Amino acid sequence: MDQSELKSQIKRALLEELDLRGRSEADIDDAAPLFGAGLGLDSLDALQLAMAIEERFGVSVPEGEASRAIFASVNAIAEHITRTKAG
Amino acid sequence: MARRERIAVTGLGLVCSLGFGREASFARLCTGERGIGAVSLFDTGGLKSQIAAEVKGLDVPAIAPHGEDWSRSDALAFVAAREALSQSRRVPGAALGLALGGTTGGMYETERALEKIAPGSISPQDARRLLDFPLAVSVERVARALGSVTQSATVCSACSSGAVAIALAASWLLAGRAPCVVAGGVDGLCQLTFTGFNALGAVDPAPCRPFDASRAGLTLGEGAGCLVLELESSALARGAPIIAFLSGWAVASEAHHITHPEPSGARAAQVLLDAIRVAGLEPRDIDYVNAHGTGTLQNDAMESKALERVFGADLGRVWLSSSKAQLGHTLGAAGAIEAAITALSLNQQVVPPTAGLEQPELTTLRHVRSANQRAELRAALSSSFGFGGACAVLAFEAPTAEPRELEQRPRSSIVISGVASFGVRGLLGGVDSASYLVDAAAPSEPPPEPLSLLDPDRSRRFGRASALVVASAERALRDAELGSAGVGFVVGSAFGDVDRSVRFLQKVLSQGPKFASPAEFPQLIASTGSGNASIYLGLTGPCLSVSEFATSGQSAVSVAVSLLELGLAKAVLAGSGEAHDAIVDAVLGDAQRVPRTEGAGFVVLEALSDARRRGRTPLAVLSEHLALRGDPAPALLSLSAPPASACVVTSALPSAAAGALARSAWREVPLHALPSVLGYHEALGAVALSVAASEVASGRVEQALVVTADVDTLYLTRLARYTEPA
Repeated sequence: MDQSELKSQIKRALLEELDLRGRSEADIDDAAPLFGAGLGLDSLDALQLAMAIEERFGVSVPEGEASRAIFASVNAIAEHITRTKAG
Repeated sequence: MARRERIAVTGLGLVCSLGFGREASFARLCTGERGIGAVSLFDTGGLKSQIAAEVKGLDVPAIAPHGEDWSRSDALAFVAAREALSQSRRVPGAALGLALGGTTGGMYETERALEKIAPGSISPQDARRLLDFPLAVSVERVARALGSVTQSATVCSACSSGAVAIALAASWLLAGRAPCVVAGGVDGLCQLTFTGFNALGAVDPAPCRPFDASRAGLTLGEGAGCLVLELESSALARGAPIIAFLSGWAVASEAHHITHPEPSGARAAQVLLDAIRVAGLEPRDIDYVNAHGTGTLQNDAMESKALERVFGADLGRVWLSSSKAQLGHTLGAAGAIEAAITALSLNQQVVPPTAGLEQPELTTLRHVRSANQRAELRAALSSSFGFGGACAVLAFEAPTAEPRELEQRPRSSIVISGVASFGVRGLLGGVDSASYLVDAAAPSEPPPEPLSLLDPDRSRRFGRASALVVASAERALRDAELGSAGVGFVVGSAFGDVDRSVRFLQKVLSQGPKFASPAEFPQLIASTGSGNASIYLGLTGPCLSVSEFATSGQSAVSVAVSLLELGLAKAVLAGSGEAHDAIVDAVLGDAQRVPRTEGAGFVVLEALSDARRRGRTPLAVLSEHLALRGDPAPALLSLSAPPASACVVTSALPSAAAGALARSAWREVPLHALPSVLGYHEALGAVALSVAASEVASGRVEQALVVTADVDTLYLTRLARYTEPA
């Protein structure tokens, strides 16, 4: 899968799994932070996202601090999925 | 301030992982024994925690009378209630109130039914099985098995449910609604909560370690606790044993987050202080606190801070323990089980330890660490802090406590100061809801989508029913010209979000327990509606859900009145909202002869004295609110005559309502049956109340009688026009 298609799928997962009503893929910047200021997500969203990534992409996300780096942005999530699948 | 009597605890019943019966359970608890082991009830494969505090040897068919199909929760509740009543030596057949708190009812049995159904192929017969065990069923079954229950309620405020049921019982006793009340909490283990708490990462793989520096989460448990409560004079008159006194109570909300506690502990501290104040005590009078102490990082840190705020330098004097390292976190039962433990501690002058505590995080707290710790106890607190910031604290005193003067809020009329409804004409506030009575024509445009009425960022994950509820409540609050601080919220819900719970569980059952959705889980417990409303609207009074089938909205009004009478809130939003649900519609669609629809109704209730103080003219006076169980004929016959200008508004079919009123003084009064205008849903009774309040406020009638009925219950609510005193 090419990176732009992967990022598009990640954004769809964010919109659906985190119930971001009234937002579209275009509203999510590839490099922008997802948590804190960004989309206003919290730790409950991080847990949901971890489960969704495992379910949708077959890639598990470690708990705790490591997940924070992976969930930094859409780019970081895409990188984690690509790296895990390759390795 | 008016004086009030003391409330005596005259019976206790306890079922938990340490055994059946209060004496055996409490003795084992005090030795530090832990009732936690591998889960045997269902598959826990792949989950972080695979242990729980199960009740072993629960023989449901042997407990259920007449071969009835009971759930584990029904059986647990009945066993605890029966033991408590037996100890109280109450004469069989004497009138009783029954208030139970819980979060999931017969979810375990629903899950067993769901296991046999292939995803996506739910037949009407399957659907019916999925509705066999809603939360309100336990009260129905226990009430029938006990007999002579004249007043009842099922309440849910997440993990403080059991404590809230006990506070409600206090209100009933002080208002004279019941001479004696069995109050408690029950929750059986189920996959919904087990996989849900795992998904939240809130569980410890090892047995939980409350207040330990290395604690890593909670351990779930199951059980039931019941207290028999009555006024001291009643207990003394019949020579009943007084185990302890229930002296104080406080219920309030943090309005912070659906799963996280407010970290400073400020709100929890206020609730602790309020319970102490209601008891007529000072923090220096408290000798023991049975903590909520779940073993999660966040709860125990918050709770420690709250205790520091309350007791200050005196903290090292107050014994503290959490029973959850031995009994697990029994969710809706915890507040009642731990209340029973607190009462037993005061009675026997011994405090149970916090098992598993090796390295206390704080040395400022006086943890109980020895088995069978003797202690001189005058008064003690039992704390509960639930999901959605639902806090409840109960204060108990030793049976030897000297009598002293206790105060209560003077009685005042209850008025409606705000109203809203949602139906085919959309969201209507104030007198607009009465338009359904004036003009029955269907509107040309469909009503707005409920979720479109709310801020999308703050209503993420709200189900359709939550959206209806919160939007209507917000409108009613605005109508009442009230801020949200100190306002309470009681929402009636018949079945909860069945479709969504089934989707969550089917994923768990087909894909495995680790695919439980952490974000969905908090939206699937019975207190979801009140938690969402409290946080969205910033309501910091007591916020809870009640369940009583098609009279859930009327039950909500009853409970709201009780909260006001106890002085727990400056005003309470009460009502109900129901959304379309494929499974509920499939089961009930055929049974009713009108189309199934959706909608909501909310009113703001407050004491007349409070409304007048803030210069608000009431829309209507709640002049009578009768909850009738069994034969309603005597109450109907004695219903006082209507004034010249009056109407009846009912959620029942016209023939049923006319039949109910046929022998009353209201039989000739014009009757408006809402099903013919609005279709039918289980919140229609709440809509009827809103419509009737609007009609009275419009000035067209002097009084309106709202009639709402279900199989065993009939509610009559009389609203009267407010007239300024001369």
